[in-house]
Amino acid sequence: MKKYDAVVIGAGNGGLVAAIRLLQGGAKTLLVEKHNLPGGFATSFRRGRFEFEASLHELNDYGPDNNKGDVHVLFEELGVADKIDWIQIPDAYRVICQNEKLDARMPFGVDAFIDQMEKYVPGSRTSMRKFFDLAEEVRLAQAYTSSVNGNADSKIMVRDYGNFVRAGSYSVNEVFKALKMPLKARRILSAYWCYLGASLDDMSFVHYASMVNRYIMRGASTPKMRSHEISLAMVERIRELGGDILLNTEAVKILTSPKDGGVEGVVLDNGEEIATHHIVANCAPHLVYGKLMDHVKEEEIKSTNARKFAGRGFTMFLGLDADPDTLGVEDYNYFLYDTTDSVKQYEMMKTIEGNNAQATVCLNRALPDASPKGTSMMYFTTLYMDDVWGKVSPENYQKVKNYVADKMISRFERDTGAHIREHIEEISIATPMTYARYCLHPEGVIYGYESQYWDGLMPRLQMMNEDYKVRGLRFAGGYSMRLSGYSSAYFSGDISGRQTVGDIKREGK
Amino acid sequence: MSFTFKKQIFGFLDLLRFKKMVPNRRKKLEEGSSSPLPVSYAVNVTAKILHPGYQKAVLEKIEVNTADTKTYHFITEHPFYFEAGEYVSLAAKIEGSEVSRPYAISSSPKEALEKKVSLTIKKVGFFSTYMFDKAKVGDTFLLGDPSGNFVYEPLKDAKHVLALAGGSGITPFYSMAQAIRDQINDYDLTIIYGAKTEKDLIFKKELDTLKSSRVHVVYVLSEEKKEGYQHGFITKEILEPYMKEDVTVMMCGPEAMYEFVTKELESFHLPIRRVKKEANCVASRKGEEKTYQLTVHIGFDTFQVPASSNETILVALERASLPVPSKCRAGGCGFCHSKLVSGKYTIAGADKRRLADLKFGYIHPCCTYPDSDMELIVPKREEIH
Repeated sequence: MKKYDAVVIGAGNGGLVAAIRLLQGGAKTLLVEKHNLPGGFATSFRRGRFEFEASLHELNDYGPDNNKGDVHVLFEELGVADKIDWIQIPDAYRVICQNEKLDARMPFGVDAFIDQMEKYVPGSRTSMRKFFDLAEEVRLAQAYTSSVNGNADSKIMVRDYGNFVRAGSYSVNEVFKALKMPLKARRILSAYWCYLGASLDDMSFVHYASMVNRYIMRGASTPKMRSHEISLAMVERIRELGGDILLNTEAVKILTSPKDGGVEGVVLDNGEEIATHHIVANCAPHLVYGKLMDHVKEEEIKSTNARKFAGRGFTMFLGLDADPDTLGVEDYNYFLYDTTDSVKQYEMMKTIEGNNAQATVCLNRALPDASPKGTSMMYFTTLYMDDVWGKVSPENYQKVKNYVADKMISRFERDTGAHIREHIEEISIATPMTYARYCLHPEGVIYGYESQYWDGLMPRLQMMNEDYKVRGLRFAGGYSMRLSGYSSAYFSGDISGRQTVGDIKREGK
Repeated sequence: MSFTFKKQIFGFLDLLRFKKMVPNRRKKLEEGSSSPLPVSYAVNVTAKILHPGYQKAVLEKIEVNTADTKTYHFITEHPFYFEAGEYVSLAAKIEGSEVSRPYAISSSPKEALEKKVSLTIKKVGFFSTYMFDKAKVGDTFLLGDPSGNFVYEPLKDAKHVLALAGGSGITPFYSMAQAIRDQINDYDLTIIYGAKTEKDLIFKKELDTLKSSRVHVVYVLSEEKKEGYQHGFITKEILEPYMKEDVTVMMCGPEAMYEFVTKELESFHLPIRRVKKEANCVASRKGEEKTYQLTVHIGFDTFQVPASSNETILVALERASLPVPSKCRAGGCGFCHSKLVSGKYTIAGADKRRLADLKFGYIHPCCTYPDSDMELIVPKREEIH
């Protein structure tokens, strides 16, 4: 029987980083991935003259060499930074809500952002400045917490990061109100909410402020060769460090010890058993406890059932036979909403008919030669806040998916005045079924467990050690302690990988 | 920090709230239901019907279409669904080799839900000759996932599709016509079907039955003059009447036909988005044959495999009976995506790899000829679920 110090299940963003961290920590590591490509959502695909990005809109917290973000530093530590070429996204976003007659284009850079907001909303400056001051304190408090591996000294927290602690238990909307931010400024500043997928009544201020601050302060990045470049760079690094990778291979069982219920091994889909005492699962606890493990304790069943799936994904990819100027597509990044009230918009996203929100990207606005001269590439994403695609039958599937894609095109043309429909050369549509197929996520969820008020970033981070219940089993990716999104998934892999290195030292191989 | 954040009248109440977050989450987790976690989810079950992956298929009936074409009717292990125009790969073990070929599905999507699927195969090469001469009712084959982009796309394509078929290239269009009959798709389909003689027309009777206000069929015979048939090749004169309105041209047939028809289409100045071509399998290349050594890593194992310089790397792997992934055999689907450790190679036709694949040294063995000894890391073929 083959024996490894650690097995990583799933080569998504979290799993890839975890594998590198394990190898750097001296652990003999095996990475198994069900799909034939590494990366999970971080991949690309070809259609005709186009190579489409599968999921990444913009990477948060990377930053250029003269303004490195935490992800940049992490990539340098992992030894992958020099394997990837990056480009910077030009502007932060354009948010359009025709019902509210709102159309705002926001720049990167904290000062520029505040100035622009003041132009749109005179009198917003003071509250905006407070927002970014508070957000910066959140970042510093998180940096301190990470530097002491989550064991923060509450005296130091209260003394040095008082505002963080005082604001830390509130939702985004509660803090917006406390800052007396004008309504229109709140509406514009709320635009990013769909990147995290919980309404701003539910989402913790700390989580949102942390993301917005990092985007605006450092700008956003994307790799030149789509996110497939990141995934292959990570694989390259894993091989350099002597790690083993099995693609087209599904882990079908986690073997546990009858003595303490801890990890004893993994069974692969060809029946082969791998002996290991340590697993990093880059997949849903729902799958691990519901399918991969026998003899799961009631405590785990309860705590898994208690959690709520976040958004189920839908993306339309278009390859267009005209350049962005000709099409009238002016921006890189659009948020198109029916209402900027995230609570109401969230409710509307619970049905296929009612959901018309979209986050849309034109890749050529950051990377003009992403596709041949005289063409453009766009992708349009939305989320479903309920399991409504579960009711779509195989026979109706094509009709429903085209119905949604059609609505997306119409809305984009109406809200922006662009003309894209007559220029579609390639079209590809990913639904919750597509995400279920490639990544095996339950219900086609792409955002892990929702950032509900009680299950938000702060309590998850604070309970990281407490949540380690099965000996040798840790999680990475959107379902874990850093929640979803590219940078969060990388950090979760970093944390779980390093913690497992510690487990191996403490608990033995 | 220039200001002190305060939400409640007394700042310490905000602190207290902060401290309650952990006990609050702990309590919520304890309050979860103790009923068993689901073992499956509706979306995932539907995904499995739309994309069953590899499955077993038993040959139920063989139907002779023409002197060199037969239709093979299979019963599959699982019900599944596909889009008319898609292909599947059919795999079998022949003379010690693991061989597979992609074939367009010639039956209606509706029947696949009843575990019935048909493939129409022309006797041209190694695999088809085996099917033609040796395959018998009751034999079990391995069927791949329905794939390809040679389908009607309502948001992109014109309301009228002009289908140009050459020989056995009729199969995807036959399926598309059935899908229109079954009200799965909604567009007008005009099939211009070229063959040598009337006897070479596959599905002539079936196509005539499918003719309707939405489905039209025009037969063009190149080696026979007969009443009710056009004579010659698919020329611009034959195409002209259909070009007065917005049409999407879809073509399926041999490379020679593509070359001819593409020329004939030139005068109509169709944009790229209005022309779709079904890719053909990469064939052998000509030239002096050399034998190279491939070192192939699959899973935990390493194999030494001889490879002919005139055949693709995939063929060498199949000849050695290695269970490797293969689907389109035209370099486009990326299913055989493999890491090149060392060695020189030539890609047949256009390079359809992703940019990062070039950067980090990945190849698609199905469209790559070896130019030296090579070392590769190839993923194993997916297991049957």
